[in-house]
Formats: sequence, structure tokens, C-alpha cells
Amino acid sequence: MKIYQKYLKTFALTVFIISLSCTKEAPELVDEQELITTVRLSIKGPNNSLQEAEWKMDAPNTSTIQLAPQTQYEVTISIWDESDPSDPENITNEVKSEADEHQFFYEFAGVEIDFNSATSDVVDSQNNPLYVVSEWNTGALGEGSVQVYLIHDPTTKTSTNRAGFGGATDVQVAFDIRIE
Amino acid sequence: MFRAECIFCFLISFWSGFLTAQECPFYLQGRVIDLHDGTPIFGAILRIENTGQFAQTDEDGVYLLKNVCLEELRLIISHSECQTLERRIQLSENQSIDFELEHHINTLEEIVVSEKQKANVNQSVAEARLTATQIDQYSSQSLATALGSLTGVATLKTGNAIAKPVIHGLYGSRVGIVAEGIRLQDQEWGADHAPTIDLNAFESVQVVKGASALKYGGDTAGGVIILNSFTPLPRDSLYGKTRLTGSSNGRGGAVSSQWILTRATGFYFSGQLTAKRFGDLSTPEYILTNTGLKEGNINFKIGRSKVIKGWELFYSRFQNETGILRAAHIGNIQDLLRALQSEVPLVQDPFSYRIDAPKQQGVHHSIQAKVYNQFSEHSKWKIDYNYQQNQRKEFDIRRGDRADLPALDLQLQTHSILGSIQKKVDFDWDFEWGINGYLQDNYSNPDTGVKRLIPDYLKYQWGSFLTGKYEPNNLGSFEWGLRLDQVNWDVQKYYTRKDWTDRGYDQLFPSFEKEYLPTQLLTQPQFQFITLSAHAGFSIQLGPALKSTGAYILSQRSPNAAELFSDGLHHSLATIEYGNLTLDKETSHKILVSVSTEKNPFSFSLEPYLARIHNYIYIAPKEVQQTIRGAFPVWQYNATEALLWGFDFQGSLDLSPRVQFNSKTSYVRINDISQSQPVISIPPFQTNQKLSYIFPKKEVRIEIENQFVSSQRYFPDFNVVVNTLEGDKIVGQLVDFSTPPKAYSLYNLNISLPLKVTPKLSGQLRLMIHNITQTAYRDYLNRMRFYADEMGRNGSIQLILNH
Repeated sequence: MKIYQKYLKTFALTVFIISLSCTKEAPELVDEQELITTVRLSIKGPNNSLQEAEWKMDAPNTSTIQLAPQTQYEVTISIWDESDPSDPENITNEVKSEADEHQFFYEFAGVEIDFNSATSDVVDSQNNPLYVVSEWNTGALGEGSVQVYLIHDPTTKTSTNRAGFGGATDVQVAFDIRIE
Repeated sequence: MFRAECIFCFLISFWSGFLTAQECPFYLQGRVIDLHDGTPIFGAILRIENTGQFAQTDEDGVYLLKNVCLEELRLIISHSECQTLERRIQLSENQSIDFELEHHINTLEEIVVSEKQKANVNQSVAEARLTATQIDQYSSQSLATALGSLTGVATLKTGNAIAKPVIHGLYGSRVGIVAEGIRLQDQEWGADHAPTIDLNAFESVQVVKGASALKYGGDTAGGVIILNSFTPLPRDSLYGKTRLTGSSNGRGGAVSSQWILTRATGFYFSGQLTAKRFGDLSTPEYILTNTGLKEGNINFKIGRSKVIKGWELFYSRFQNETGILRAAHIGNIQDLLRALQSEVPLVQDPFSYRIDAPKQQGVHHSIQAKVYNQFSEHSKWKIDYNYQQNQRKEFDIRRGDRADLPALDLQLQTHSILGSIQKKVDFDWDFEWGINGYLQDNYSNPDTGVKRLIPDYLKYQWGSFLTGKYEPNNLGSFEWGLRLDQVNWDVQKYYTRKDWTDRGYDQLFPSFEKEYLPTQLLTQPQFQFITLSAHAGFSIQLGPALKSTGAYILSQRSPNAAELFSDGLHHSLATIEYGNLTLDKETSHKILVSVSTEKNPFSFSLEPYLARIHNYIYIAPKEVQQTIRGAFPVWQYNATEALLWGFDFQGSLDLSPRVQFNSKTSYVRINDISQSQPVISIPPFQTNQKLSYIFPKKEVRIEIENQFVSSQRYFPDFNVVVNTLEGDKIVGQLVDFSTPPKAYSLYNLNISLPLKVTPKLSGQLRLMIHNITQTAYRDYLNRMRFYADEMGRNGSIQLILNH
């Protein structure tokens, strides 16, 4: 008995010392680098009229886009990390610099709108439009919505619908549209 | 010396036989073999206590005790290199009984108390153990894949290389892996995680289907996998084994080599090295882009084993890099819908050995020291200390120049200590008492730029166990055990202030709140769980070759780090996963019964089981959250009541001395009884048939195997409907990720040729073809089943050398 009592004491002491030596520092807050919190559309209409539509994380309501029929608009999309309200970060620049790996895209439901690349749009190395700046041509009166996409690593850059692009969706938000 | 003894005991037994011949005309015969490798033990003495009767085993391990009486015998079996075995035998007729001796006292504790314990009275090794041949065959694959060949064990996979064992439908923290006597501490809670351990380093791989190995923990309701390396013998020798495998699918292979040096003084030294490299795998029709693998492992061991005492130092390092199918990296639930609608993966590139994101990297170090000493004839103590460091990095496809920056970077460090005392009392009683402590530190690197999936924490665990065995004679034995553990968590985790209040934690756990930041909240959750585990079981010999066992196992498990704290996004399933601070410990009551025969030419074993799990922790979709990435199902851990039942069957039939038929079947059901629905990811019904033939010349062996896996008909419906655009209309579409894939049937072929190069160099040459018919199929337990088929045909050539 005596023999292992001695060992047990040593054992207990060792474990006690190990447990004492451990206290943990407070963890650092992670600076989330690829967070997108805001999608913003700047819609420039006739006579330089300007309208902004915003989709914000954790905000319950998104703005409805009001457009006139048979009119051309220039739409500029920007995405933001506004997790720190005092230091908003424009992520669009990062996307533009990696134009080959990204694609903005729009799909419309219930409203007649055609869109194509604007003259001030960004293109990738193969001359495919990124649709950062696009021209929207409205048709008849109506109500519907637009799906706004940012696609990462699309399998092709020349599709006419979202499914054709493949890739992983980085952004997908919807705005209501009223043409009146 | 053996010879002198032999003549002596021969004379004695002759003489005593002469004296008692008239009253006792019965005999007892059989073999004495090595418990580990089944080789005959020559020169073992069998002595009947209180009589002068002796017998000695010959070169084939065979003994014969003549003129034995029909009464209870106290038999003592001894050998100079082995632990003495004492047994009571109740003789009712002329009988044949085999005994297994254990080389050296230090391995005494490795006779694991299991519901399917390798009995002292049989010679078959058909239990839930991998044979040496199986370990060879799976040398280039993962531990879980090898274990998957055992009845009752399935594998939960993410692709092909990332696989974890599932025992009786349970996995993760419900299955323990014990290597060299210490629990493996890696991040076993993740579904897309594989144990960071190399199968090649072990000679003995045993599966215990229940938490009955209380020494190693009482929290594993599924079971425990016990891995042990070689047993050193005190003689001057240098030997080893080398395995070379080359495979067509993935155009890669593995090399593994081990050398063992032993000395007559008891010193031993061993070193082992494994390297694996595979490129992209392929299905019958296409390449699985980015499914390559790189692995490199090394281990060393030095020690001294004298019969009554010894010590050992051990170090091992495991490192791997595994690619994850490129097409499985998706953004949201609509992407998953597109993947499901497509027959083939949406990203396919030509074959390559490159491993790009998404991928995983793991490094695991283990350092261990153990000492043991037999301090009286029937008692011994042992202390094991072990330190493990597990580093895990996961890489996602990321924007900017962050592709090389891991999205998850965890370091888990664990100190383990296990001290135990074993005692044998008289012929019949064995006891073991011990204490077991763990100190675990998890560090989640913030430089990833991604919210921590698992927070920083300290975990302390203390346990004490007492187990015992009563074996009155050869006809039966009774085993029992008890273990008590205390687990303390000290965690530091950031929650967004919104999440904290949305989940009601501000009301439930105000004391955890530590520091308030503009949008975040630093919390310090502290929990304590006390768990009790117990085991009681029997083994009874119903006839000369018919045996039955039964056991009841109580196991309690405290929730793991993922179940409590997990917080993040899973790219391969487009899900957000949340832990749950309100979870309590999980309690499982399991009953296992078995009946087995060992009689040639037909033998079988049937093992039904039943378990009731209170507070069964599982993850299920809670709601669909609209995020800026689109729709995401949010999965949250919750607890429910579960009922589990099933059976494992295996049989073998010798059709002729050269033709053998083997059959294995397993079935399991787990139901969530509070919600009356099946539990997700339960292995479907599976049955394997194997026919083998040994050619008379050269002992060439051919095996043809059929593996049938049915479709899982019992599954919960977690499908969601998402809005998608069709033309210019928004329609709801069903995303069906619940329905299991169809049944499949595979044919495999193995041909092996024994080699004898020189007396000291022998081996095997083996040709293995998996999925001969190029069947395209998907497996319910593979998380990549939404994106691609399983591997097509794979031909491998293997050379095994024993040197």
C-alpha cells in the first residue's frame, strides 16, 4: 500500500501544478474581412435625378425602387462592410480588381426591364462586362422585383441567366420595383 | 531447460495418471496460443492444482491432460515468457478447451472488457477486430474506411478521404478512439472531420461496441476503438514490416515501413514512417476535381519491458492535407438547388495532383510516457501521461489574396493522465481502480478574418473508475464497472449583441456577460457537468461451442464544444450552424446481447442491441434565414429523446477445406421519439457476402466480395422551399437534401500470393480491385452526395514485406 500511496501523491501534485498554471487571456475580437453588410444601388435617371436603394444586414425594410416607364437609367452597384459604422469599407473595389473571378448580375420578376453594360462599366481580361455600372431600360407599367447577385468564381462569364453562371453566390438580395 | 521440464512433467503425468486411472477416465485437451497473434505457444505447463497432474504443450501448442476427474478443476497454465493464467474448469465430459496466454505482464490491461470480449475458450478471431491482413489491405486508406469493413461499423464521409467511424449509428463524440492506452484528442465533434491517426502504426485494432471500456471514458455510447502497436519480446531481434501500395484511381499510393529492435535485456526501440499521395479521384464518368490527398506520419518508441515492470516513451506526428470537391463550395441554398438539379458536378477540371481551396490541413503530435510495476504477485500499478497537440486549418475559396489564409485555424492541446491499479484476488476475482484526468486548451486564431466557429476554451475533466470481473469457472464470467467524471468548461466567446438577446441568453445567463462592445459582447460561459457511467455484463458457455453474452451499459456524456458553442457557416451544405448553451448531459441506457458459435464448418454470431437515449443531442434545421448571401437554413443543436435498436450478424461456412463463404449484415434504427421521426444520417441496411478460394499450389487466395447497401427509408424530412426565378416569375422550389440516394451493389476482388524470399524475408503480393463493374452510386453517409457520385473502379497492387 505504502508504495503506491507515494506514487499517488506525486501524481496528484503533478496534476495540481498543471491545473494551476493555466489561465487564459481574453480572446482578440476577430476582424471579419469578407463581411458584406450593405448592398447599395445608385440609380441615375433623366435630368440627373438620383435615387438610392439599400439592403442592409439586420435592417428589416429595404427600399422600393420607383421607376418611370420607357425610360433609361444608369445603375451603379456598390457593396459595403459597415459592421463598424464609424469606418465603412467599400468592398466594390476589391471585386473590381478581381474582375475575372466575379460577376454582378440582375434578374427581374414581374417587371419589364432590359439591362446591359454601361459605357463606364468595368470589364474583365476577356472584355466581359462586370455590370458594376449598367443601363436599365424600362418597359410598361408594372410591379415586381429585382434579384441582385454577386457571383464568385462563375464557371462562365457570358450567361444570360443566374443558373448559367454557376459559381458560388456571395450576394443575393431582392428589391421591390414599381414602374409607374 | 524446456526439454528437461518436459520429460519431468511427462513422467509425473504418466505416474499420476496411473494412480488415478480407474476413477477418472476422462481427458482434457486443446491448444495454448498467443492472445495477440494466435500463434501456438510451445512449452506451456498446465497444472491441475492439488493433484500432481501436469501437461506440456508441444510445438503446435497442443496439450493433453489424461485421467481427469469429473469435478471442478483448478488449472494453472504457465510459461516462462507469459503471464500465468488461472482458470476453474467444470468438466462434464471429454473436452477440448483452448487457452490464450498473454506475452508479458505489461499487456495485461489491454485485455479490454468488452461486450464481445475475446473469450478464453475459443480460437476464432472473427470478432470486431481488424485482422493483420485487413490492416495491410487498408494501408493506403483511412482508419475509418478500414473499420467500415467490420459489422456494425459504418463511415460518415466528406468525400473519400475525410471519413469518421460510426458505431451502431452513433459517431463523433459518441465514439472514442484510444491509441496506445490514451484517448485521441482531436476535433472529433465535426462531421467533416477525420481522426488524425495512421492505421499503419498499429498491430491490434479492436472495436468495443459500447461504453464498457470504462477505463478510457464512460461517455461513448456508440463504442470505443482501441489501437495498440506491437508487443516487444525480450530477445535480441531486429524485424519490421513494409507496405507498398499503388492505386489506379487517384493515381497514387502509400508507403509505410516499421522497424523494431528488441534486446534480451528488455530494451526495445521502434520507428515507423508512412507517406501517402493521391491526385484527383474519379467516378465512372468524370473526375472529382480537387479530391487529392497528401499525408506523412512518423512515430518512435523506446522502452524497457521486464516481466514485472517497465517503462516506455512514445512520440508520434501525423500530418495531412486533403482537398474537398471543388463543386461542393457553394454560396447559398439556391446554389445547392442548382447542384442537386445537375447530374454532374458543376466544376470539373482535368486530372491533377494539386490541392487547392477548399481543403483541410491537420497536424497532430502526441508525446507519451508510461511506467508500470507489479508490486506483488497479483497486483500492479501503471501511470500514463500524454500530451497531444492538434492543429486544424480549413481553407475556403476567398476574395482578395486570402486564398492562403485559413478560414478556420484551431489549436487544441490536451494533457491526459491515467493511473490505475490492478489486483487479482484468488482464482476468480479481478479488480482495477484508477483515476483519469484531462486538461484541454483550445485556441482559435483570430487572424483568419472569419468569425470563430469554436471559441477559445479551457476544459478540465476528472474521472475515477472501478471495474471488476468474477470468473468462477470456464462456463461463465461476470463483469461490472463504475465511473464518475466531472467536466468543467471555462469558455470565452464573442456573441453579437443581437444574437445574445435573440436567443434569450441575456435572461438565462446574465452572469456570463463580461465586456460590452458596440455590436459585440464578450462572454465567459462556465459550466460543470457530472457524469456517471456503469456497466454490468455476463458471458456464459451454453454448450461446447455455443456462447452467449449480455450487458447493460449506462453512459453519460456532457455536450461537446460544437454542440454548446458552434457559430458559423458551412460552405459544403450552405448552412449556418449554431450551438446551444442550454444543453444538458446526454444519458444512454444500452443493452447488448450476443449468441455465437465457433463450431466448424459453420460459425456465426448474432448481436442485437437496444438503447434509450435521454437528452440525445442532435442538429436540425430551425428556420430559413434571409442573409445578404440569400437564403440559409439555420441549423441548431437541440436535445430530444431517442430510441436506438439494431443488430449485427456474421457467419462463415467452410464449404470445403479450400472454399469459404462469409456473410456480414448490419441494421440500425434510431428514432426521435418525442417528435416521432427518424434521426438524420443513420446508416442504411447493409450486407456483405464473400467467397474465398485457396489454390492448392502456392497458397494463392482469391476472394470475391459483394457489398449491398440499401436505400435508407427512414429519414427526417428537413427539406426547404426557396423562391427562385423562372422566366420572370418567382416560384417556390423544393430543395430536397433529405431524400437518401438509391440502393447500390458493388463487387470487389482480392487476389493474394504469399511470398517467401529468404527464411528471414517473407511477404505477400496482392491485387485488389474495388467496384469492378464501375457502378455509379451515391452514399447516404457522404456529405458530398449532393454534388457527385462515389469513386469508380480502383485497382491496387500491394507488396507487403515482413523482414
